[in-house]
Amino acid sequence: MRLTPSTKRSRSKLPFTRGESHLPFTRGESHLPFTRGESHLPFTWGVPALLWQVIFFYIPLAFITLSGFIKISELGAFDGFTLKNFTLFFTPTYLKVTLASLLMALTNALICFAIAFPLAYYIAFTGRKYKNSLLFFLIVPFWTNFLLHVYAWFYVLEKHGFINTLLMKLGLIAEPLNMLNSLFAIMIMMVYYYLPFMVLPIYSSLERFNETLLEASYDLGGNFFTTFRKIMLPLTSRGIRSGFFLVLIPSFGEFAIPELMGGDKKMFVGTVISQYILGEGTGSLGAAFTLLSGLILLIVVVGLNFFLTSILKPRMQNG
Amino acid sequence: MDDRKSVGKLPSLVIVALIYLFLYLPILILLIFSFNTAQFPAPWSSFTLDWYRELFQSSYLWKSFGNSLIVAISATSISLTAGVGLIFYAAGGGKIGKYMGMFYGNLVIPETVLAVSLLSFFTLIEIPLGLTTLILAHAVLGLGFVIPIVYARYKELDYTLTEASLALGATSLQTFFKVTLPLLRPTLTTTALLVFIISFDDFILSYFCAGSSSQTLSLYILSMIRTGVSPMVNALSSVLLFFSSLLVLLFFSIKTKARFV
Repeated sequence: MRLTPSTKRSRSKLPFTRGESHLPFTRGESHLPFTRGESHLPFTWGVPALLWQVIFFYIPLAFITLSGFIKISELGAFDGFTLKNFTLFFTPTYLKVTLASLLMALTNALICFAIAFPLAYYIAFTGRKYKNSLLFFLIVPFWTNFLLHVYAWFYVLEKHGFINTLLMKLGLIAEPLNMLNSLFAIMIMMVYYYLPFMVLPIYSSLERFNETLLEASYDLGGNFFTTFRKIMLPLTSRGIRSGFFLVLIPSFGEFAIPELMGGDKKMFVGTVISQYILGEGTGSLGAAFTLLSGLILLIVVVGLNFFLTSILKPRMQNG
Repeated sequence: MDDRKSVGKLPSLVIVALIYLFLYLPILILLIFSFNTAQFPAPWSSFTLDWYRELFQSSYLWKSFGNSLIVAISATSISLTAGVGLIFYAAGGGKIGKYMGMFYGNLVIPETVLAVSLLSFFTLIEIPLGLTTLILAHAVLGLGFVIPIVYARYKELDYTLTEASLALGATSLQTFFKVTLPLLRPTLTTTALLVFIISFDDFILSYFCAGSSSQTLSLYILSMIRTGVSPMVNALSSVLLFFSSLLVLLFFSIKTKARFV
């Protein structure tokens, strides 16, 4: 009888055992005998959140899944189930669109990582004194309407914009370069917009990183590369992975940036979906393509997660 | 060791400076041209405040600004109240851990997919598109932030304080409002700011779920970009940048203060 209460008391005195799962109870559960078990506060208060989530998240998702499988008659009425909406997309054109989106999302995540890691490292360690200002200036553009940034980049990339004017004044080019409506413009805007999604998770895992580990590695004869590969990457892998997916997933479905920066020449998954969904009578096709591309994204994400976990995990042996 | 450190410092400073230049160059050019008399692409001619004057007189713009504000405030209040309700139940000893998995999907699926599903759903049940549908949609997005963040913080709270309150004779209700909620206040405020700004700046959900009658600020900016460039958008940018700087500042001051509580 005495055993259980004493375990509990010792647990609340020792903060470092908090949250360990081998203890027979979980956080949020009362430790006092008179409140144990049933909640004293009514469940009704929790119902709105759950209901809202079911009605405006799960039901619409279930609905769009279902609507990919239905056939609409010429009068616009329900006319049985079909797989035709899906098979229509098994053509080289749509395969190319999907591959282009995947490639764009992966490239974006890689470029963001290459830029974000040094930046996050600088904010967390070298420039720690100015941490707050650096984070502030990183977040301000991020918290401003992104269409304004699209608009701002027109000023930089336009025919008479900043870069062309600068290069022509320097005499490096004779004719202005056409930079807008290109893949280059799309990628610039993608990296610009998604960069903070990569920096912030990496920064927060670096912030918890014990810097003396790096010194230990150097003292034991490790060079920069070994230290980075064997100490830094494994210990920040959580942040890197979440950054990767925070960038990859939304950029796969992105339709505003390709449309605004790429003109109407480049087609991506998001462009196709929005055209079908907003088009007259093509809703089921849009739903089917949303499902197909979502499935492909899911497979890629699961595969990539497996891959990232295996390359980022610590290796004990040498070489 | 020290040698290596000081050698490594300079290139990283240059890299960081270049990254911030990349982030701020477009913004700076945009701000400079908001004071230019001539319209872009004409080069700089002379200083003027006309575009700001025009900005503050544009009733259309202020209407969409108001719409965005209504949507953002409503969505934030709904998702925050609903989220606190769930925590309220947990604080009484209810186990809500099993429901948490339900809310992670909101942030994991591409926003385009959510927007498209909601649009089809609203069309099916014949809710006319407008501010209402926009609020409903943004509140779902908000719940995806509020519930995981607030629940994570709630789990970190020192449970002995709740125990002490209950042992000293306070009811569960009193404990919730006098102990748990005040402890959660910094997190609730920062999450509210986050949800507010996400809703206020949101483009994808607005594009699909707003319909043609009600315009938000994002849709207004989109139409301005499409119809042609006016320095009024530059003036609007500087106003909005100022506005979001204030919000970020508020967010930071709450976060740093909360560390010491």
